[in-house]
Amino acid sequence: MTMARSLAAWLGRRALAALVTLLVASILIYGSLRLVPGDPVLAVTGGRRLTPDQIAALRAGYGLDRGLVQGYLEWLGGVLRLDLGTSLTYQSGVTTLLTGRLGVSGLLVAYSAVLAIAFGLAVALVSAVKGGLVDRAASIVAALTTATPTFVAAIGLLALFAVGLGWFPATGAGTGLAGRLWHLTLPAVAMAIAAFGVLARVGNAAFAGELGREHVEVARSRGVSGGAIIRRHVVRNALAPLLTIAGLLVASLFVGTAVVETAFGVDGVGSLLVSSVSRRDFPVVQGIALVAVALFVLVNTLVDLALPFIDPRVTVGGLSR
Amino acid sequence: MLMDKETTARPDERDVLGISRLGLAVGSGERATPLLAGVTVRVGRGETVGLVGESGSGKSLTARTALGMLPPGARATGRVTVSGVDVLAAGRRTLRDLRRTRVSMIFQDPRASINPVRRIGDYLTEGLRARGVPARAAAGQALDLLDRVGIRDPRAAVRRYPHQFSGGMLQRVVIAGALSTEPELLLADEPTTALDVTTQAEVVGLLRNLQRDHGTGMLFVTHDLDLAAAVCDRVYVMYAGRIVEEAPGASLFAAPAHPYTKALLEASPSVHGDKAAIKAIAGRPRSLAESPSGCSFRDRCPLAGDDCAERVPAHRPHGASATACLRPEQVMP
Ligand SMILES: Nc1ncnc2c1ncn2[C@@H]1O[C@H](COP(=O)(O)OP(=O)(O)OP(=O)(O)O)[C@@H](O)[C@H]1O
Ligand SMILES: [Mg+2]
Repeated sequence: MTMARSLAAWLGRRALAALVTLLVASILIYGSLRLVPGDPVLAVTGGRRLTPDQIAALRAGYGLDRGLVQGYLEWLGGVLRLDLGTSLTYQSGVTTLLTGRLGVSGLLVAYSAVLAIAFGLAVALVSAVKGGLVDRAASIVAALTTATPTFVAAIGLLALFAVGLGWFPATGAGTGLAGRLWHLTLPAVAMAIAAFGVLARVGNAAFAGELGREHVEVARSRGVSGGAIIRRHVVRNALAPLLTIAGLLVASLFVGTAVVETAFGVDGVGSLLVSSVSRRDFPVVQGIALVAVALFVLVNTLVDLALPFIDPRVTVGGLSR
Repeated sequence: MLMDKETTARPDERDVLGISRLGLAVGSGERATPLLAGVTVRVGRGETVGLVGESGSGKSLTARTALGMLPPGARATGRVTVSGVDVLAAGRRTLRDLRRTRVSMIFQDPRASINPVRRIGDYLTEGLRARGVPARAAAGQALDLLDRVGIRDPRAAVRRYPHQFSGGMLQRVVIAGALSTEPELLLADEPTTALDVTTQAEVVGLLRNLQRDHGTGMLFVTHDLDLAAAVCDRVYVMYAGRIVEEAPGASLFAAPAHPYTKALLEASPSVHGDKAAIKAIAGRPRSLAESPSGCSFRDRCPLAGDDCAERVPAHRPHGASATACLRPEQVMP
C-alpha cells in the first residue's frame, strides 16, 4: 500500500521535473529566436515588394508585433493545443510539416540505434571476454569510429556503396517498409558509426568491470558454466549503466539526422531543420527544437523509470523495490 | 624434480584434499615470480584443518588451487587431488563437475560474493540448477537450506536482495549456498574476517555443526591463530609461500615448534591479558620471491644462525609437530 503510494509520488515528481525542463527549454527556444537580429519577415519576403500594410499584417500573423512575453504566451498556448504555428515558407502548419516527417526520422533514428547498440555491445562483450589481441583490435576500431564525424561517414558510404558499388540508393526515403529500410540503410549506418564506437568503448569498460567482480569469481568457483556467468552476472549487471548511455546516444542520434538527411536527400525532420534555418523560417525551427527537447526529456525519463527495475539497489522514492 | 616425486609420501586415497609439494609461479623465464613452494597439506574425511599465516603468506592461493583456480598465467608443479581427482591435470569439464559436486569455497566478504542485483533465492538455486536439479525442486531445497543455516522466514528471504541483509546473515546465505552441493570438502577462506566478533562466533559454530552433521572435510583459512587452535583438529602454519609447521590444534599453544609460530602467538592479543605483552613480529612479512635463501624466516628470526641460510629446512618431527626449523628445541612457549 505505502509502496504503491510512494511509487505514485515518485512518478509524479519525475513527471513534474520533466515538465519544468520542457517549460524552461520552451522559454529559451522562443526567446533566442525572437532576439536574433534582423526581421524574419523581411528575410522571408526578401526581394518582393510589399506594402507596409501587408508587412504589418504578416508581422501580426506571426505574433511579431507583440511583446516578448505576450508573444511567448500565445505561442505556448498554441503549443499546448498542438499548434506550432505556420511556416513562413511552406504556407502550411508546422505541426503538419513535422508529423509527416517524424515518421521517417523516427524510423531512421530507431534503425540507427538498433545497429549501434547491437554491434557496439556485441563488440564490447566479445573484446571484454576474450581480452588480449581481440581487445586491442576492438579498442582501435572503437577509437577510429568514435572520431569519425557523421558527415565524413556519410560521404564515404555514399561514394562507396551508392556511387561506386551501386548497392544502395543515393537519395530518397523509399516507399513501403522494405523500400524504406533499403533507402535508410546507408543514412542509418552513417549515423550509427560514431555511436557504435562510443558503445563499444563504454560497453567494454562496463563488461570488463563486471567480469572482474568477486561474485563472478565465486560463480566460477561454484561450477556455473561460462555462458550462464556472462548472461546472469556480467551482462545483467552492466545493464543499468549501459541503458543510461544508450538513452543519451539515442537522443543525440536525433540531432544527427540534420547532417545525414541532408547528405542523403531524405525528407525528414533533420533536413527540414537545415533548410528552415537557412530560410530563417523561425516557426519551423522553434517547433523542431521543442520536439527535440521533448524527445530528449522523454527518453531520459523513461530510462530513469526503468532503472529501479533493473538495479534493485536504486530506490524508488526512498523505498527499495 | 624427479627427486621430489620420489620423496613425496603417496597421498592417502581416502583424503578429501591432498596437496603435495605444490609449487606455483607466475611469469616465465627470467621474470618468473615464485608464489608457493613445496606446500603439502592434507585434509581427511570429516577433518577440520587450519591454515594460518600473515597477510600475503599464500593461504588463499593454496586454498584456491584445490578448485583448480590458479592466478592468470600461473604454472603449478606438484600434485593436488580432491577425493582422488587430480585437479592440476583436470580439464575444464572435470573441474566444473568437481566444483559442482565435491568442493565448495566460502570467501571472506559475503557482500562481494553474491551478485547484488539478483535475489537470494537465485544465488541458492544457481548452484543446485548447475548440478541438474529441476527448478521446482531447487526452489524447495533453497528454503530448506536457509532454514538449516538459521535464517528466519526463508520464504520471504529468497525473494529479497543482498543489500537487505546484514553481513552475518549474508555469510549464512553463502554457507547455505556452499552446502547446497553437499560437498566432501569445504574451503573456508577467512569466512569470519568481515564480521563482528559475536557474529564470528555464530558463523564458526554453524560451520562446525554443519560440517559434523555431513562429515565434510574443511580447510579453514584464517590469520587468527586462536580461532584456528580452537576450531581445528590440525593446523598448518604458513610463511612466505611455504608451510613452516604442522601441529595438532591443541598443542599449538602449549608447544610451538617453529619461531614463526611462537612469534604469531606472541603477536596475538587474546593470549595475553595485558596490552604491553603483545609483541609485534619484527620486520615485515615477506613474499616467497623476496625471501632470503634457506629458511625464509631467518631474517626476522631471533634464533637464526649461519646454518639457516644453507638450504630450506626439511620438515622434521618435534613433539607433536612437524617443523621446518633446525633448532625447534630452542623455541620456548
Ligand atoms: N595473480 C597474482 N600474481 C602475482 N602475485 C600474486 C597473485 N595473486 C597473489 N599474489 C601474491 O601471492 C602472495 C600470496 O597471496 P594470497 O592471496 O594467497 O595471500 P593470503 O595469505 O591469502 O593473504 P590475506 O590474509 O591477505 O588474504 C601475495 O604476496 C600476493 O601478492
Ligand atoms: Mg587471502
